[in-house]
Amino acid sequence: MRLSHITKSFGVTRAVDDVSLTIEPGEVLAVIGENGAGKTTLMRIAAGELAPDAGTIEDAASIGFVHQHFLLVPELTIAENLALLRPRFRFATRRTLEREAAETIAASGIELRDVARRVAELSVGEKSKLELIKAISKRPSTLILDEPTSVLTPHESEELFAVMRALASHGTAIVFISHKLPEVLAVAQRIAVMRAGKLVLETRSASAESLALAMTPQQSPLPGREAGERARVRGALALQHANLTLHHNEILALLGVAGNGQSQLAEELRRQLPHAGHIPEDRTRDGVIAQMTIAENLALRGVGDAAQRIGRYSIRATGPKQLAGDLSGGNQQKVVLARELDRRPEIIVAAEPTRGLDLEATRFVHERLRDAADAGAAILLITSDLDEAFALADAMQVIYRGTLSERMTPEEASTRVANLMAGVA
Amino acid sequence: MSRDRPAERRLQPAATPPSRRHASRESGRQDAGGAAGWKPALRGALAALVAILLLALSGLAFGHSPRELLTILITGSVGSAFALQGTLLKSVPLLLTGLSVVLAFRAGVWNIGGEGQFIVGALAALLASRFGLAASLLAAMLAGAAWASLASLMRLWRNAPEVLTTILLNFTAIHLLGWCVNGPLRERAAMYPQTDAAQSTLPRLGGLHAGIPIAIAAAIAAWWLLYRTREGLRLRATGFNASAAQWAGVNVRAQLVRAMAVSGAAAGLAGGIELLGVTHRLFERFAAGYGYSGIAVALLAQLHPLGALASSFFFGALVTGAGELQRAANISAAVATLGQAVVILVLIGYEHARSRR
Repeated sequence: MRLSHITKSFGVTRAVDDVSLTIEPGEVLAVIGENGAGKTTLMRIAAGELAPDAGTIEDAASIGFVHQHFLLVPELTIAENLALLRPRFRFATRRTLEREAAETIAASGIELRDVARRVAELSVGEKSKLELIKAISKRPSTLILDEPTSVLTPHESEELFAVMRALASHGTAIVFISHKLPEVLAVAQRIAVMRAGKLVLETRSASAESLALAMTPQQSPLPGREAGERARVRGALALQHANLTLHHNEILALLGVAGNGQSQLAEELRRQLPHAGHIPEDRTRDGVIAQMTIAENLALRGVGDAAQRIGRYSIRATGPKQLAGDLSGGNQQKVVLARELDRRPEIIVAAEPTRGLDLEATRFVHERLRDAADAGAAILLITSDLDEAFALADAMQVIYRGTLSERMTPEEASTRVANLMAGVA
Repeated sequence: MSRDRPAERRLQPAATPPSRRHASRESGRQDAGGAAGWKPALRGALAALVAILLLALSGLAFGHSPRELLTILITGSVGSAFALQGTLLKSVPLLLTGLSVVLAFRAGVWNIGGEGQFIVGALAALLASRFGLAASLLAAMLAGAAWASLASLMRLWRNAPEVLTTILLNFTAIHLLGWCVNGPLRERAAMYPQTDAAQSTLPRLGGLHAGIPIAIAAAIAAWWLLYRTREGLRLRATGFNASAAQWAGVNVRAQLVRAMAVSGAAAGLAGGIELLGVTHRLFERFAAGYGYSGIAVALLAQLHPLGALASSFFFGALVTGAGELQRAANISAAVATLGQAVVILVLIGYEHARSRR
């Protein structure tokens, strides 16, 4: 299958930008890159799930796609879930379904016992095996696996790799989307690196270091610092939590690829520090209370005079009584900022504060965080965005699989974070 | 994401309570400030009207003219001073159990246990009636709150969903009442399975009783609590989006427990007032579905305490009018229950139509 000059935009973001890629039979191709680099979008286009804005697909193959999220019916058994693959009307006994399921599983070469179990009772690893069996059972010429190992134990991952190799040896083309370098190096014959929608590297042999470098945006020394901005003097110790230390007048960036324990840490801190300012990571779910007005949202943290706050935080709204859910994402985030920062908390935990925001809103959030640090707050910035970290942070730490690296200055970090984030250091 | 946080998940109600569904598609944009705006009120009035018309039309199936049925329903409920008095007496317990449901659903707690809380409230009021009226009413509220809180305890200890526990507690309360009126609390004359009369009664106001101003005051107090206090703000935030409320500094667990207790207190007070103002004695079928009807009252009120004033009056009139239908046209008074169901179906249909637009 040949993808030529594929381009796809969502709103103003170019998710995939002029990418050409060939998928060869009998080969394991790894597509790697950071979150939001466009890997999944590209593959959904290849699978025909999304239409590209521009570009062509030649020799389109039959494709099996194993998604990152399970598409299983938890209330049904393994056998019943597999039976759903045959939409034709027919009568079948439970025993027939179970026999057919066992045959399908045996043919796939994957081990999965007891097809009468309900999917809800399966472990995450077993569910992902079932997804894989579903995809293989249609005998596709190309199999796409989107981050299949993110929920697997190392042992289960090994099993998966064995299946991938076996399928490839029988002529199936396999595309393996990941951001974990060690496993990519272990299993892929060819590696395509994506960054910000572009294909930046295609290679058959590469070191982990060169891949990590290709995945992360090139850093000019201390990018994003505006000229003339004075360096803050680090203040007194504000928080000591495990090997995390926060000082007043300081922004500490905690960098990491999503899913390495950041959410758990943010929640832990929320429980430990109920009076700190918290900017939640999952903005759509945890940001504002959509059904309440701006004034009511602010009042939840005791912030009064909503009209004045709307002006100060340049929230585009008709007034304090507008429902927060009717605001744009950027303006909702400004409401959260007003709610969390306006009472000048000593400690601020901001998780992915600009994810999905446009440039103007992003700049506004960054300014407010800098102002808060200037005013004495100790800020923990949890982010997977390197540009953001380097633009704001006075110090950095990397979180990988729940473990924090040591503190680094931005200068030290510029050469080391990429490897630390990928777990190859 | 949520897979990693069992502690949070156990705080979520078993399913999305109506408060979220209603408000998430609120079209009255300047709403939620407390006065509620006229759109939800109009929606409720329309649902009530459609329900009454459907009910009247259904008379065709039994050989009655809809016009005749409507006339009997209306004159039988508000057509005379006597009818109006009956309607108001029925409205009082409905208003209080309706407020009970409003308070719980606004917090996102499925309290379906109004019936049981109503009964234990009345039981406590009876037992405390010899210490005077105030003590009796207070006991009713405390007992209702305590009974409801059993569901909160089961949620906190075993993560048992309130939908189930509150319903089961209803049956427990019904049987507790049955045992009481046949056993330890049976009247001294021992003629019927009922208790002696309570030793306090609510002051009479003509053919009515002082429960009416108390219930109206309770509606205003509930409105004030929900829309004019920090606690009410937190309670509503919890109901709309418990997860976001937590990030905004709300102690969600405490809100759920408190809402359940306040809700139970309102239902308990309803039982106490019904005892001290109307029946004066307890008997097995004392609750008569008031607890369950509170759900219909709250839904028709669009979960607004002041809306409950109107919707409880409507359902009170429906019950009274249905009694008249039975006498005058020999149509079962169960038609009142049917009316409740039709109102809820009309509201659900309306929500459904709106969500598809």
